[in-house]
Amino acid sequence: MSITVYHGEPNGPSFTVLAALFEAGVDASLVHVDLAKGQRHNLACAQQPEVAMSVEGEGPVVVVEDEGMTDSVFIACYLDDVGKGGRLRPTDPYARWEMMAWCRQMIERTAPAAAYLGLCAHPPTGDHAMLAKIGSEDLRARWQDTAAGLNAEDRLADSKTKIAQAVNKIEAQLDGRDWLMGEFSIADLESYAWLAGMVELVPSAFAERPRTADWVHRVRVRPAVAKALSLAREPAPDVCWAPGPEINRWG
Amino acid sequence: MSDVTLYHWEPNANSGKPMLALMEKGVAFSSHYLDLLNFDQHKPDYLAINPQGTIPAMRHGKRVLTESTAIMEYVNEAFTGPQLMPEHPKDRWRVRWWMKFMDQWLGPSFSMIGWNIFVGPAVRSKDPDELKAAIERIPLPERRTAWRKAIYGLFAEEELKESQRRVAVGIGMLEAALGKREWLASDRYSLADINGFNLGYALPLSQPKLSNDELTPNILRWLRAIYARPMTKACWAMGRTAMVKRVAILEQQYIGKEQVT
Repeated sequence: MSITVYHGEPNGPSFTVLAALFEAGVDASLVHVDLAKGQRHNLACAQQPEVAMSVEGEGPVVVVEDEGMTDSVFIACYLDDVGKGGRLRPTDPYARWEMMAWCRQMIERTAPAAAYLGLCAHPPTGDHAMLAKIGSEDLRARWQDTAAGLNAEDRLADSKTKIAQAVNKIEAQLDGRDWLMGEFSIADLESYAWLAGMVELVPSAFAERPRTADWVHRVRVRPAVAKALSLAREPAPDVCWAPGPEINRWG
Repeated sequence: MSDVTLYHWEPNANSGKPMLALMEKGVAFSSHYLDLLNFDQHKPDYLAINPQGTIPAMRHGKRVLTESTAIMEYVNEAFTGPQLMPEHPKDRWRVRWWMKFMDQWLGPSFSMIGWNIFVGPAVRSKDPDELKAAIERIPLPERRTAWRKAIYGLFAEEELKESQRRVAVGIGMLEAALGKREWLASDRYSLADINGFNLGYALPLSQPKLSNDELTPNILRWLRAIYARPMTKACWAMGRTAMVKRVAILEQQYIGKEQVT
């Protein structure tokens, strides 16, 4: 069984998947695609529903037996399943629930906010020919909004609040522990993935958060993480953004 | 004696997911019914259990769990009983992908329509001051916004239209997936089917122009197969509102275009 990972710069969901791949010790072919140029939509599997309609937006795609897999947390669960022995998730069911519930809040509340702020500060450069290939109408609309320039005051303010809330949660969670779930897990990767680029964009959220600062450093120096970060083609991968998950439509 | 208590509303959407998962798994539980339309979920007794005021929540021993999909995975892993996740890692990935797609993309569109036509009107006749106070008690700001829109009928035409567009796209995706496989995400009944049934059990009634035996035969086959399971019947029998009693539409053997009674 061969695995191919189509990934962007090691930031956001591409970071989670690359780091999980190396942590789990899974062999795969790596192919760099420029997500910020919408190159994912040129892949042979781009129109498979689970690729075209991924809630995560412009994330990496892992292809196994011609089937494209998306959504980084679930890809990381998959890599943990096929890897060299359960290193990315706790084994106790309650601890696993805690990890999945943590990631869910990260996916639903933090990721859309981070993507919005990232896109405002560092807009991507997808062109019109690419837009026509996008299978999901709402993802296409997010590209168009991005091209027009994102600066809605209320969304910016709300997104900054959500980042601050996530950091507060992390700071509290790290009381007396090195990793978010006690043992290192996908929760650390997914949280780092969305927050690493926010240190510069929302500095106030990270002010006087010593445990979070130590944790960011601790994640970064893990060999698997360092290897993922070394795949960057840009000098600073955490400023590379493409339209990600949407902000909750209900307000 | 089980030490599981489930705090839930109707067998519908998020509440119905852990209800049906527990029943399929054969786990006895104490049922604690919260009347969503009476704002029970925002009252101090329940906020002491789940400070976010979202339904459902599950107590197992001294621990409280929230997030309905994560609860289902816990139920599957923590108790013995029939396996509700497929064995192959890629199938497991697919189960999770579809659950997220339904939880975060398709489900909110269904529920915006449902809240607009069912939940909003059902509570609107209450005392205006009481409603205002009830909204102010809601802990999560986004839930406060949702309730305000539902109660006062403030959903914009554009957002309802977008929800209806997504419902149509989602129905097409479900039909295609169920044309490829017997069950939604793999070749065995799984948490994805439990999740999907909670979303779509009344589809031929709520979306008669988009889902019926002519247009979506695979969806109808799938819904009837889930409804035929004894635990689904037992679970839906716990429902109290007209909304969940709509499940009886699945007893009709053939539902043609515009034939819904």
